[in-house]
Amino acid sequence: MWNIVTELFREYMGTGLIVILYLISLAYLWVREQRKYARILLVIVPVILLLLFFNPLFARGLYHLVGDEIYYRILWLLPITVTTAYAAATLYGRLTGRRKTVFALAAAAGIVVSGSFIYKNPFFQRAENLYHVPDSVVHICDAILEPGREVQAAFPLELVQYVRQYEPTICMPFGREMTVERWNRWAGLPDEMEKEVIDLSRLAPLAKEEGCHYIILPEEKEVIGKTSEYNWEVFLRTDGYVIYRDRDFDLKY
Amino acid sequence: MAAVLLLFAVPVFVGSLFQKNVDHYLKGIIFQWVSGQLFLWACFQLICVPMILLEMSFRYVIIWYSAVLALSVLAAAFLAFRGRRKAVSLSLIKGADRRQSVLLWLIFWAVLGFQLVQAVRMTYRDGDDAFYVAISSITQDALTMYRKQPYTGFGTELDARHGLAPFPIWIAYLAEITGIRAVTVAHVVVPVALIAMTYGIFYLLGRFLLRGKREPLPLFLIFTELLVLFGDYSFYTAENFMIARSRQGKAALGSIVIPVLLLLLLVLLRQLQEGEKILVKYYVLLAAANITGCLCSTMGAMLCCLLVGIAGACGAIAFKRWKILIPMAVCCLPDVCYAVLYLILD
Repeated sequence: MWNIVTELFREYMGTGLIVILYLISLAYLWVREQRKYARILLVIVPVILLLLFFNPLFARGLYHLVGDEIYYRILWLLPITVTTAYAAATLYGRLTGRRKTVFALAAAAGIVVSGSFIYKNPFFQRAENLYHVPDSVVHICDAILEPGREVQAAFPLELVQYVRQYEPTICMPFGREMTVERWNRWAGLPDEMEKEVIDLSRLAPLAKEEGCHYIILPEEKEVIGKTSEYNWEVFLRTDGYVIYRDRDFDLKY
Repeated sequence: MAAVLLLFAVPVFVGSLFQKNVDHYLKGIIFQWVSGQLFLWACFQLICVPMILLEMSFRYVIIWYSAVLALSVLAAAFLAFRGRRKAVSLSLIKGADRRQSVLLWLIFWAVLGFQLVQAVRMTYRDGDDAFYVAISSITQDALTMYRKQPYTGFGTELDARHGLAPFPIWIAYLAEITGIRAVTVAHVVVPVALIAMTYGIFYLLGRFLLRGKREPLPLFLIFTELLVLFGDYSFYTAENFMIARSRQGKAALGSIVIPVLLLLLLVLLRQLQEGEKILVKYYVLLAAANITGCLCSTMGAMLCCLLVGIAGACGAIAFKRWKILIPMAVCCLPDVCYAVLYLILD
């Protein structure tokens, strides 16, 4: 348990530099903060929380209750941002003349160097529209949705997480659960759809089994087999994807 | 326009209920905004969870929560009229110290503006949205709550465990009332409001902690901005959640509820130290913050209780005011109820 908890703390700290700045701020406030109430909340409570976080008995009990994925959130109770900023602002207030400016610039530089700019995170992208889902999803969903009823469609894995955020009337035989490796739910239809070369003799029966009105495949993928043999037709080509319509499934009630 | 009304004007108006006798350094429109929103969130949680567990239609949530919203506004208007108080205090503007460094304030506003523009312009690819945002979209479309699988759309048994923290349903409510698609409310409207509110809370914390020292306040805020903007040193930080996943309840827990609890506990401990009487409405706010924690995340109940419990115990010991533990425990009761429900339903 100790190893798991320390590993979690290490992951939370990242490079550890911001946490070091926080610990320095904590030590500074321990020495300089005169008001008891502020000392309690900014210094003593965080220390107790840290002792609890690393306490194997507490960790075991809570781990059991909330699971391993969210135990780290106890660390959110440490007011890292507020304490560090407050300590820096207090120190700034005590200085005079040019020292003030020098300190403010040095502290700001310290934070910039210690941290990592959030918008440089590779998961951040320029939004393509006000829905914050890819344009391709918007165009495909708008093309296949049927007013007044739900539609079943199989999407490539790179799109599944966006589809039902944008259009909840489009149902899918598999969704985001297939994209999470640790959930290990990889199976049949998505497996066939993600292959480099699509074999319709294998894909079409699986799609029919799931009752898919539409199957969406990337345009660049090679497809083996005649769509007409499976009563499929090309419904639309858009944004680098081909939408196939299975005529075996009627869309009219 | 309707979004501004729901996310700013109404909470500010309702927040005037908590403005009287509030700490001098908290007085102003920002405290009204935060306290009003906390109160409304708590009401939403208390209305919504029973309806989810009873598998009622989302329509009832809309009706009942709208009624509570209207009643709260009426109550605020009535009190404002009776006491000839201004429902919206502009003390923040009036009290602005002209000697404050204009440059530092300009930097703060510019960086805040940058973050708000980025919240609209940029998107963070997060798989959890496929769950939370889809729930908001389903709720707006089908009027059912937690009875469809968000990933696939198939009908399912009630997902009561997630239903205990119905932050996505609040987003669906905003979407339904404003007429904007839930996906846009979740990805654009809510992040802008919540990021701004987080800095509002930092402002209140700065004002309270620095107590009248106006000069370092903008610097304090700039440092908070830097720590947030450069908070991507780890995937797990509350700062990362605040900017990258602000539409998810857990982000609101880390960047709004926990800082607000810190602020309320600071006020409480200060009043204990000064031997001041603690007003009932203060406890109402503390309870509202705790309940909002439950609205945001199922983990919220535990985190809020932990923070309030430790801080309350420290305060009681340090200031020898043991009686304070009773109302604080009462404030945590809703969390305990939700936690027990969670354990039963899990």
